[in-house]
Amino acid sequence: MTGTSAMSPLLVALISGGVVLGALTGLLAYVTLLERKFAARMQSRVGPYRVGPHGLLQPIADGVKLLLKEHLVPDAADKGVFNLAPVIFFIPCMLIFASMPFAPGLGVADLNIGVLFFLAVSSMEIVGLFMAGWGSNNKYALISAMRAVNQIISYDLPFVMAALVPVMLAGSMKLSDIATAQQGLWFIAYPVIGQLAFIAFIVAGVAAENRTPFDILEAESELIAGFRVEYSGMKFAFIQLGEYAHVIGTSFLGAALFLGAWAGPGPSWLGPLWFTIKALLVFVLFTWVRWSFLRIKVDQILSISWKLLLPLTLLLLLATAVVIVIRSGAGV
Amino acid sequence: MNGEVLAFWVLAVGLVGSALNVVLSKNLFHSVLWLAAALVGTAGIFIALDAEFLGAVQVLLYAGGVITVVVFAIVVTERLVGERLSQTSRRILGGAVVAVGVLAMVLNVIRRSGIDMPRPEMTADITKWMGISLLTQFLLPFELLGVLLLAGLLAATYFARPEE
Repeated sequence: MTGTSAMSPLLVALISGGVVLGALTGLLAYVTLLERKFAARMQSRVGPYRVGPHGLLQPIADGVKLLLKEHLVPDAADKGVFNLAPVIFFIPCMLIFASMPFAPGLGVADLNIGVLFFLAVSSMEIVGLFMAGWGSNNKYALISAMRAVNQIISYDLPFVMAALVPVMLAGSMKLSDIATAQQGLWFIAYPVIGQLAFIAFIVAGVAAENRTPFDILEAESELIAGFRVEYSGMKFAFIQLGEYAHVIGTSFLGAALFLGAWAGPGPSWLGPLWFTIKALLVFVLFTWVRWSFLRIKVDQILSISWKLLLPLTLLLLLATAVVIVIRSGAGV
Repeated sequence: MNGEVLAFWVLAVGLVGSALNVVLSKNLFHSVLWLAAALVGTAGIFIALDAEFLGAVQVLLYAGGVITVVVFAIVVTERLVGERLSQTSRRILGGAVVAVGVLAMVLNVIRRSGIDMPRPEMTADITKWMGISLLTQFLLPFELLGVLLLAGLLAATYFARPEE
């Protein structure tokens, strides 16, 4: 970014933040269509088709519908908490993109602690979720929020551990450094360790996003829609958008950690495009898992995390450390 | 007044305000949320002081931690739906006097220690140095803490085991 050096850093930050936010909102709207179309294909359906050619205007119609819908607040709800919850839920979900470098030097803030920033900010999501579940004063919503706490605390740990494997291989928590370290070999191609870490990342990611088979907190047959059951209109849209932002953010993180971020054939300005394509691939993987499996039980969810994923990721970390020490020539 | 001082005052006022709300709010759930706000505010102060790592860890650990506290508060009091949990702060006056006394003492110590030099510029990667010194200079305390946490974990599993 040579041309921007004359501008004040605050202005640059505002502009790049605005651009990322705008592009992201558009991407998120169309990702919902992608998921619906993909799910429809898997189930031999057509999916959204009526609004615009091949249903391409469906996200816009959805947005208009949600904007115009009435805001309902339950009488017994804790009004302040209920109204604040979608915002508290939405902000961290969008903020996770702040540390994402979309190409060398192109991003809002390429922090030294990029990966940690992502993990820290996305862990704030649970506060908004719990506020929604509690503030609604609805038993379904509250049970859903309690289950969410259970699940998110269980899967935070393996998720962090799986994300730490690329961090260790690259020797940095800065996302652009991790991307540069993969120029020779993407970390997913790293023998054994890479693939196992990627699988652990995907499983923990699906659980962190509360998607099937880990969707006990919005299990429709038991809890209707879980913590968001009382929300309507734009507040519902905020929760929905936040959830998709989290999924896409996790996909971008997966692409940055394991798939070489912006690396790809062609000129370097194609970098952001490659990065987005890879992130969408990871997203499709999440979607594929979601529409292929059945919901599993609470105890199974917890035992997968504590008895399988956590020991596996801990061993992976250990193995990574051993590999690094051996490669650097023992002694240190 | 530069940006850093402004950020400090905004964060500080927010922090003290939410901390007061933690103890003064009647609704137990609200005070837990104010606690979360106070912890995030603390993270903001860390970040304003260039301790980004500490700030991120603060958010990462306490956001989950605070919510666990809520769950325990609800589970232990066994009122899932219906009646609101209420917090009754007795002896507010005595507590306030003690708090002001402690504040005066801390302020006095800080004033006497004569810390008035400007904050040094951060040039090195503080996270990297923290990692290196944790595994070299402070290895023993670090390992001891690990053992302590492991003991805590084992004790928790022991108490939570199903009755035979």
